[in-house]
Amino acid sequence: MYTGPVGSASLPQQIHDYNVHVDRNDVFWMIPVRHDAVEVDFNGARASLRVHDLSAFDDHDLANSLTQGLGLPNPPIVAGIPAIPGVPPVRAKVSFDVEWNGALAMAPIENSSQNFKGSFLSTGATIRWSAEQAGFRFDSDAPPDPNANLISVLGRERNGVFFS
Amino acid sequence: MNEPGYSPWKKFQEHWLSRRSLIRGAAGTALGAGLFRPKLAHADEDGDSERAACVGPNPIPGGVKGLTPFGIFIHHNPLNPAKALADINDPSQITDFDGFVGLTHIRGGGTGTDTGTGATTPLAFQADMGFSQGKFIGTDGQQHRGTFAFV
Repeated sequence: MYTGPVGSASLPQQIHDYNVHVDRNDVFWMIPVRHDAVEVDFNGARASLRVHDLSAFDDHDLANSLTQGLGLPNPPIVAGIPAIPGVPPVRAKVSFDVEWNGALAMAPIENSSQNFKGSFLSTGATIRWSAEQAGFRFDSDAPPDPNANLISVLGRERNGVFFS
Repeated sequence: MNEPGYSPWKKFQEHWLSRRSLIRGAAGTALGAGLFRPKLAHADEDGDSERAACVGPNPIPGGVKGLTPFGIFIHHNPLNPAKALADINDPSQITDFDGFVGLTHIRGGGTGTDTGTGATTPLAFQADMGFSQGKFIGTDGQQHRGTFAFV
């Protein structure tokens, strides 16, 4: 979440970063949810993800999320990457309704270097979400803007041991 | 004083790695460690969830370096709007997986509210979210079915 107009997404402007953290096995920002939180109609190029009051963390910004609260050094040691003060995570609850809808492109993929294959669709998407934590609440605009989608993908895939 | 050839960047990496190792090694006992690791539990848990999904999956071996110069590797391939669909990297965060995946890279606006004062502020967001639903080989080496949100 960023200060500034829609489209702002630079690190120094970021004031909230909600995610569920990397798990003990290094799986990135994934958390089990109820089976019915996800509905997929792949042939119809539609899917939805609906979760209410999911326990998450507000890491303030991506740098603090990836460095686990260390931020980035001051003075900056890499040109173009600003110093970011360390911020500890704060517990939060997030709710979201993400919808994938309408095929824009489709492609079969078989990638033997990454060991994955399947059928993939580029789709439209909308999101409506909210977050709540001590002293702060956020609600995304409603109705969601269908033009806000930068890129969205649905896939029916196999990877790893299921690749062969 | 820094040792010759001992760059601040290297020092930062070592600091980060040692803290990360500390957190991982002492998870559950060190103060604050619990804040860095999510509970392996279900959202909206009401007792009818698939128990099998509570066995964790394994990450894809690939991914990208987040904050590239700092070399923090994440097992995730962000979607790139400039890339053709046929050229995408594996959109799943879970390996040994057979099922449906969804990813979105999306932005928009909304309203932030200071719940103490009621003051509101327009804010922008950018979200990378998704899901995986299907069967996977868990950390126990067994096959399971599960549904995961990418948040």
